[in-house]
Amino acid sequence: MTEDISRRSFLKLAVQGLVAISGLLALDGLRRYLSFKPAPPPPKRFEIGPESDYPPGTRLVLPEIPAVLIHDQDGYHALSLVCTHLGCVVERQVDVYACNCHGSRYDKSGKVTRGPAIHSLPVFQVERNQDGRLVILKG
Amino acid sequence: MISFISSCRSSFLIHLSQRSRLIIAAFLIAIYCLMAAGWLFPAQARVLGPEDPPDPNGPEIAATPVIPPQLKKPVMPAKPTGADLGSITWWGVCLACHGDKGQGLTDEWRELAFGEDMNCWKSKCHASNHPPEGFYLIRQVPPAIGPGTLKRFVTAVDLQHYLKEKMPWWKPGSLSEDEAWQLTAYLLRSNSLLPVGEELAIDQANFLAVHLPVRQVQDERGWQIILVGTLSLAAVGLYSLGKRTLIGRVNGSISNQNEGSARLKQPARPSFFHHLHPPSIPLPQARWRYTLGAGGLAVFFSLVVVVTGILEMFFYIPTPEQAGSSIQVISYSIPYGMLVRGLHFWAAQALVVVAVIHLLRVVLTGAFMPPRRFNYLLGLGLLVIILFLDFTGYVLRWDEGIRWALMVGTNLLKTIPVVGLALYGFVVGGEAPGLATLNRFYAWHIFGLTLFLIAVGVWHLFRVRRDGGIATPSPELRSDSRRITRDELVRREVLAMALATGGLILAATLFMPPIAPPISDPPTILTEEVRAPWFFLWIQQLLRHGGAFWMGVGIPLGALVILILLPYINKPVPDDQRGRWLPRAGRLAQIIAIGVVLAWLALTVLEMLE
Repeated sequence: MTEDISRRSFLKLAVQGLVAISGLLALDGLRRYLSFKPAPPPPKRFEIGPESDYPPGTRLVLPEIPAVLIHDQDGYHALSLVCTHLGCVVERQVDVYACNCHGSRYDKSGKVTRGPAIHSLPVFQVERNQDGRLVILKG
Repeated sequence: MISFISSCRSSFLIHLSQRSRLIIAAFLIAIYCLMAAGWLFPAQARVLGPEDPPDPNGPEIAATPVIPPQLKKPVMPAKPTGADLGSITWWGVCLACHGDKGQGLTDEWRELAFGEDMNCWKSKCHASNHPPEGFYLIRQVPPAIGPGTLKRFVTAVDLQHYLKEKMPWWKPGSLSEDEAWQLTAYLLRSNSLLPVGEELAIDQANFLAVHLPVRQVQDERGWQIILVGTLSLAAVGLYSLGKRTLIGRVNGSISNQNEGSARLKQPARPSFFHHLHPPSIPLPQARWRYTLGAGGLAVFFSLVVVVTGILEMFFYIPTPEQAGSSIQVISYSIPYGMLVRGLHFWAAQALVVVAVIHLLRVVLTGAFMPPRRFNYLLGLGLLVIILFLDFTGYVLRWDEGIRWALMVGTNLLKTIPVVGLALYGFVVGGEAPGLATLNRFYAWHIFGLTLFLIAVGVWHLFRVRRDGGIATPSPELRSDSRRITRDELVRREVLAMALATGGLILAATLFMPPIAPPISDPPTILTEEVRAPWFFLWIQQLLRHGGAFWMGVGIPLGALVILILLPYINKPVPDDQRGRWLPRAGRLAQIIAIGVVLAWLALTVLEMLE
């Protein structure tokens, strides 16, 4: 009788183990299936045309990036227009940037002047390619 | 040991001896080991090697007198792969029209390759008065290399078939099987779908999508086989655990015949999960030989279809432009996407099969008569819902394979008198199938019909219990007061589920669900055979023989009405004939039901032979 019970409980344990292993295998497959990203990542490089389009003193909003291209005595650079709080696009007012979602404010150089945002607007590098066209490198 | 054997003797499927059970277990394990071995040590893939040289006397294109470097014969590496050999065939056969870079017959290419003969279709070789060795040349030659150029093909096999049967343009069918494979390898390599220096594995070509990044499916299929193995082993274990945990009702007191009273302890307040099954059911009702387990399997397949369907919804895009490609993405790019789609497809097909088997069982055992008549009608409703679900799901592929079945199916609605046009507008959402049709079929498939399936299905199950259990035992078994517990029921269900899951995974691993190139306008020449889904092939056959309304709507509805009328036209089945196969009083219904199913099968086979 003891032998019988131990056999039964062994079998039961084996079945439970096999079902658990099967379940784990299926779960791993599910994880791999669901982790597939069908949408390609957004572009990191933006070609914005020849240098001559952006004379010194330019402060131009480029909505597709979105960023503002600045050409001053330091050369070209671009200021991101994505609020560092939760990702809304900030609006350029005369000399400041305002986020309409939660009221963050940034000054002309992108520094936070009012919360809830904590970090300044990031600055993107601007490069010149062989054809003399400007390229904004995001991130 | 002896008690172990004797306890096994009294187990589930009592008629099987210990020995035959061991044989079954050994058989399952052997299959599992074989499959695991096949995965670990795959047979040498059939590859194209240098032993299949191209025919040196093969077709040659007259070279131009001055030979720019692009037109030179390709130089073979020391160990040429199939793709390298294909590049020679390309140079000899395809290059003249399709270009050195596969760009097609562009102006630049004509100028480079043919110089003053650049207007090929006017030159002596390719005008309408061409000499015998020439041929008339079409003006539009599509590119073959570059993004999207191979989009009309789904897999490498499709591409190879096309090359073999339709190319070259002037002499279709002149490429040998191997040449077509080498050319396929060359095209795949040129489209960055096959790494340089790698052989095209022909036995895998059916899984090789030609315009998507090629994903390594080998390890996934291996894991799938391992999963089948663990499930089979679990099933063997569950089967060996088959000790009937019986409760005999003797003088009103409950005693457990096999084990101590420990197993009998039920929680004071049963949980939700306890309510899914009755605490116990009479032993004579749960005879597999009588129920065939078809109803239970149908419930399980419905669950599989719902779960895999939800997973497919994560990636399926219901627009005419994207539907076909998104299914290709599911099949070829997403890890285990082929498995998910395969499970959905095979469970849906199996659902039709087990539903019909269940219907036959119910009619042939007389269970369709009162008091189960109403549940029989609910069951017929479920069959209709399942057929609609299968058809809408089939249409969601929105590829060349479903194009004409959708056309025929929706146009049949127009033939219905009075309400036909309104019904067509309701189903199609316009004058012709389009975006609205796809969206409506999607909505019906994932929501409307699924809701009906769940609602009517739950009602059907409720009525099973309300009508007194799965089946009435035959008279000589009715005195048997033994009952099986909920635990035993669950064990049997889990056993059936483990086997069914293993079978489905195996089917999904070995047989790919049908897929075709996305619908294009005008229809591509790849549409070689026009087929309804298999469960409607009988209607396709009927439609060949008469008016569309009577053959396509009248007869199918008539068959349904006959099935509905069975419990009304058959004479009552007396109590002492219940619980047996083929009761004498049920002859009329038995003959009609078998006749309907045989006619269905015969028409299906006839259509398959067309």
